[in-house]
Amino acid sequence: MILIHCPYCDEKRAELEFAYAGQAHIARPADPSALSDEEWEHYLFIRANPRGRHHERWRHIHGCGRFFNAVRDTVTDKFETTYKAGEPRK
Amino acid sequence: MSEGLTRREPVPAEPVSGRDVIVRAAAPMARYALRARQASDVEKLLGRPVPHKIGDTDQGVLCLGPDEWLLLAPAGTALSAGEGAAVAVTEVSDRNIGIIVEGPRASEVLAAGCPLDFDRFNVGRATRTIFETVEVIIQRAAADRFHVEVWRSFAPWLWTAFATVASE
Repeated sequence: MILIHCPYCDEKRAELEFAYAGQAHIARPADPSALSDEEWEHYLFIRANPRGRHHERWRHIHGCGRFFNAVRDTVTDKFETTYKAGEPRK
Repeated sequence: MSEGLTRREPVPAEPVSGRDVIVRAAAPMARYALRARQASDVEKLLGRPVPHKIGDTDQGVLCLGPDEWLLLAPAGTALSAGEGAAVAVTEVSDRNIGIIVEGPRASEVLAAGCPLDFDRFNVGRATRTIFETVEVIIQRAAADRFHVEVWRSFAPWLWTAFATVASE
């Protein structure tokens, strides 16, 4: 079982308490109506799909309930680091 | 009309005695979910200090997350709705029921469905977690007693699981 470090609880907990929540650091455009259809499509649907380091959001849904960011290797499934939401990209 | 309905508990009133462990239903109690950005707002509402560290408990107030507390109090305890305070107060008394697992093998019963190391829990520590597939809030109430909060609809299943492990 994978152990994931929750930056809010500050301890490692079993993977089954967590839920994946998509790619991290995607900011909603401040003025959506100013975007072209292509830009809006890119914001809504286009996601990175790297082989290796991936920044993603996770939620400690069956624990403290908080969303946080993680860097996970998509090949080895190892978590490199986790950090609180709102902190700069690592 | 609702007054005419009989209240039915989802788990048996009779405790289950297993090997070195007893599983029983907790008495009905008042439960309040408190959400606030600042712990000080909750302290103002309750008029007493609340734990700031996730997992800590102080006189029935469990700190479950950075912005979430659960108040467990004797049945009938009323709480102000928090008008004007930056606290979301939700009464959830009948959403959960409590199951008490008590005895030298109590932590072993919980370990049957949960990977946390309950032997290393300090007395008073509380956390939300998963038992098999059921979300529960587990508090170590005493050295050999755990209080498990579970949603009513999941309670019959959890009760059966505890009773089965307890008798093994």
